[in-house]
Amino acid sequence: MIADAPNTFSTADLGARTYRFLADVLGQRQTLRERPLPGLAHALVFWGFVAFGLYTTVEYLKGLGIVDLTHTRWFAAYRILLTPFAIGVLVGIVGLALRRAVIRPVGLGQTVSIESLVIAGFIATLMITFLLAWRLDEASLAGQVNWWVHALVILAFLALIPASKHFHLVLSPVTVFLKSPELGNVPNLDFEKEQVGLEAVKDLGSKTVLDAFTCVECGRCQVNCPAWGAGKALNPKTLILQTQDALLARKPDTKLVDLYSDEVLWQCTTCGACENQCPVGIEHLPLIIGARRGLVSNGEAPDYLGGVYNHLERRGNIWGLGSDQRQKFVHASGLETFDPRVHDVLVWLGCAGAFEADFQRSLRALFDILRGRGVKFGVLAKERCTGDSAKRTGNEYLFQELAHQNIEDLRAAGPKTIVASCPHCVKTIGNDYRKFGYEVEIVHSAAFVEALTRGDQSVAGNPRERVTYHDPCYLGRYAGTFDEPRALLTRFGAEVTEPTRNRDNPYCCGAGGGLLFADKDEEPGSRISDVRFRQLQETGAGTIVTACPFCTIMLKGAQSSAAAVGGAGEIQFVDLMTFANGRLSKVG
Amino acid sequence: MILVVAEQRGGTLNRASWETIAAAQHIPGGVPIVVAVLGGSGGATTAAAQLAAAAVHEVVAVEHPSLEPYTADGFTAALQSLIGQLNPTSVLFPHTYQTRDFVPKLAARLDRALLTDVTGTKPSDDGALVFVRPMFQGKLTADVRPQGPAPHLVTFQIGSYRPDAAARGSSPAPVKTVAATLDGASVRQRPDQPYQEARQAVDLSQAERIVSVGRGIKGQEHLSVAQALADALKAELAASRPICDAGWLPMERQVGSSGQTVAPKLYVALGISGAIQHLVGMKGSNVIVAINKDPDAPIFEVADYGIVGDLFEVVPALVKALNE
Amino acid sequence: MNIAVCIKQVPTRDWQPRVNDGGTWIRDRDVTFETNEPDAYALEEALRLKEKHGGSVVACSVGPERVAQVLREALARGADRAIHVEHASVEASDAFVIAGALAAAVRDERFDLVLTGLQSDDQGFAQTGVVLAERLGFAHATIIMEVQIESSTVRVKRELEGGWFQWVAMPLPAVLTIQSGINHLRYATLKGIMAAKKKEIRKVAMPAGLAARQHIVRLYAPQKVKRTELITGSPAEAAKTLVTRLRETARVI
Repeated sequence: MIADAPNTFSTADLGARTYRFLADVLGQRQTLRERPLPGLAHALVFWGFVAFGLYTTVEYLKGLGIVDLTHTRWFAAYRILLTPFAIGVLVGIVGLALRRAVIRPVGLGQTVSIESLVIAGFIATLMITFLLAWRLDEASLAGQVNWWVHALVILAFLALIPASKHFHLVLSPVTVFLKSPELGNVPNLDFEKEQVGLEAVKDLGSKTVLDAFTCVECGRCQVNCPAWGAGKALNPKTLILQTQDALLARKPDTKLVDLYSDEVLWQCTTCGACENQCPVGIEHLPLIIGARRGLVSNGEAPDYLGGVYNHLERRGNIWGLGSDQRQKFVHASGLETFDPRVHDVLVWLGCAGAFEADFQRSLRALFDILRGRGVKFGVLAKERCTGDSAKRTGNEYLFQELAHQNIEDLRAAGPKTIVASCPHCVKTIGNDYRKFGYEVEIVHSAAFVEALTRGDQSVAGNPRERVTYHDPCYLGRYAGTFDEPRALLTRFGAEVTEPTRNRDNPYCCGAGGGLLFADKDEEPGSRISDVRFRQLQETGAGTIVTACPFCTIMLKGAQSSAAAVGGAGEIQFVDLMTFANGRLSKVG
Repeated sequence: MILVVAEQRGGTLNRASWETIAAAQHIPGGVPIVVAVLGGSGGATTAAAQLAAAAVHEVVAVEHPSLEPYTADGFTAALQSLIGQLNPTSVLFPHTYQTRDFVPKLAARLDRALLTDVTGTKPSDDGALVFVRPMFQGKLTADVRPQGPAPHLVTFQIGSYRPDAAARGSSPAPVKTVAATLDGASVRQRPDQPYQEARQAVDLSQAERIVSVGRGIKGQEHLSVAQALADALKAELAASRPICDAGWLPMERQVGSSGQTVAPKLYVALGISGAIQHLVGMKGSNVIVAINKDPDAPIFEVADYGIVGDLFEVVPALVKALNE
Repeated sequence: MNIAVCIKQVPTRDWQPRVNDGGTWIRDRDVTFETNEPDAYALEEALRLKEKHGGSVVACSVGPERVAQVLREALARGADRAIHVEHASVEASDAFVIAGALAAAVRDERFDLVLTGLQSDDQGFAQTGVVLAERLGFAHATIIMEVQIESSTVRVKRELEGGWFQWVAMPLPAVLTIQSGINHLRYATLKGIMAAKKKEIRKVAMPAGLAARQHIVRLYAPQKVKRTELITGSPAEAAKTLVTRLRETARVI
């Protein structure tokens, strides 16, 4: 099946892949990360399996009468060393079985998997027979029975593996190695090769096919998915299992939209939580965005996106507003056109910067800070949207049109460093434009200003102001920039109260993936933004600090809706740059 | 002679007809003005009687059963023959939806110049008249000269002249009723009666005037304040997302990216701060009025007229001023 | 149902107006161009009619080399082929010249319907479609909000002023000028763009003997710029001032 699929395997960036392989497979980092206890149990089992590999081999060599190494001295030592591993495996597997059968967390599905319990029983039996072998005379009947039970269970286990999700024992190391080092890496389409995205099961790439059979159904993707969390139909785990079923059913012409449903495909915010939390290296975004591309290429995008595409095509921004408004802002803020001989950095305004009042305030704060520190900066004479919403919604043609035009302008301007306050612009220019050969250092203003003010004395008042910080997905999760905003906040007098879901695993505001305009048919209160706003409210902080224009728009919208029914409390919004600048000017 | 073609329906004059008469009177040189009005039997004569108040040379009611209701073919044929008889130097029309429908055809048939959407006239150095019209969506203005032989046809933008600027005569102008030269069988368009869309269906996108409320209205019980203004303006009531989310107004009254996109002549925003999702839904409005307590509200950026103040004080005052 | 759609290429709506040195036309070199918006709706309507009744859609435009861009976009959206009347001097072309050129280009094709936008974003004559109808000898109707085909006749919903509408029937062939917002525009799809590369754009020379009936003496920026007028005073005073402004300056009530 993998051989039949279009090849999407890549081993580019071997260093990053090797590091991740060591950390996630051998170190069990991903397994431990989110669920420390079950993760530890799994790690004990895994490490036990690795440790037992040689033991099993030696026993089989003996059993098959090839060579008997069991009486060598090193084997005796090895057996002793294995004992703690065996106990670990036993403890781990009993814990995992109890979790699955008794605790039954939601991510594992509604029914208890009998197969999983059988496997757990097998593993437990293997360990018990291993430990019993210490007490039993090898030659006695009990000893013989014990040996045979052990050997037969291993055979049964090996037979069961390929037909079950425990195939991940074999596949996941490969899948983890083959997973792109870049989160949400959806390679650009090659129009010369008439690529139009994924339309049917037969279009699924080899990595996606591998992913489908690697899934262990642990449900991390599900419980971390903001759409699922807000009660929507999308469940990333279901997507992968549906893919597996469709591949096994051998119906290559089944349309992906029929397989997953239109509704589900357009509910993804591309926040990356599923892919980032997956312990076995599954990449959901190439599948979801690939299927979206297939729809968009046939003119089957949702209506609201049709409008956004026309705005992008005709006006170069998602709002459909005229560029004279950007001019007005550039003029009113006294911005100069970037010239590499004069300016240190280029500030990329972004389509929100050009048109959205809150974000313009944020940018003005950034300008103040930069000017106060003597950083010389300029802007492009003309900007178009980076194409983020086109890219994430699968309108690859439009994305590439915008990207090529922007790259041309950026190349002509020639900045070495770009500062942007929109995490989506950072991702798109930093990662997606790079694939067209445009290399530039692009930094989010949070990181840039943090570095710029690192020598500053703390201006903490007494008591410190209690704020909560909402990590934008494209900043915290994608760019790994989560310490810098907190450092800035602390430096300038805040006490940060963490909301649930933070740092590199935030809960999305609901705007990503082109969903900014998708709320037309959504039931008020059930929007992703409503859920996130409540999470932030629950911190009890008086201020929500944001660092992305779209998060601000969505969360403020949720606040307005909550306020209209009296549920918004007294919480206020401040963006990070305004916060920092306000405190900076206080110290003079 | 300048021929002004007035517009009527069922005997009721379109006010823009007076504006065009004012435009004709504004042209220097004291050229005599003849006003023509077309219609079926009765309607044109009724309208002509009203037009006789204007300080013009003559009013001609052109009647034919095939001229009521209006059709492009009928009007083109009737005016072609009337222009042939009167031989004017220029023919002026209001730039209405009706003239946009047939005047280009008339000009093409006569093979004479047609200047549309003209906002004014001015004499040039050589004494010939230059017409002023917007271009590039009003971003630029052009002084334009018609080319080729007279008569030149001109349509005047509504509102370029004031209807009450049309000079009235000391005595009524003579009114003449003539039968149009027109073969009814040559009319290809078969119009139904004009109608307005059913009232119960809210279609904000078709509304001429909209009063829209935002969170500044504070509570559902205060909606009557906005409703009173909507009534006084004959406007539809609309709202921003939070109001509809809260269920104070039905979803179909929501303006913005997640609701309707509207472009009325007048948009009055009450207590709406102007979040970008709202702005993209109403930025195409002709005239925007914002009333808000917060002087920094982004809505003022797009407004033509703004009042910084408490809507609960300003709106009742506005209703009072409108009813005076 | 064979439909011609006449499309004009105009400066983008966010273009910053710049006049040439002679003050007679815009400075072309600073301009990026796009499909005139009402024409985009006309194309969409034509494509929908074709999807419903079968037939073909042919996109037509008059202008210099760059006009091929909007024709390619029309082909990408689903037009079957295109006709490009090559004409260098757009500034000297009024509706008579453009309509004359279009009439010559489509006359022999026996179209059932010719659609175009109700007016252009550049010169804004609101004449071309109607003049074209007269030149072709077709019936016509303008400012159309809905189109229904009934065998050899077409029924259209015309927009009148003040929220009024009217259904008008007429025999085919006919020319209709389409109002913006009659439908939802589709976007160009990747498949459409790929297919467009294989479609034909037929180039036609400008017919001789077309003379413009108007001449731009001077083009300039209007004096008034839109500014927010903040009205101050007590609520009663402010309300009075506002009502006066709305009645007498803006004339919207």
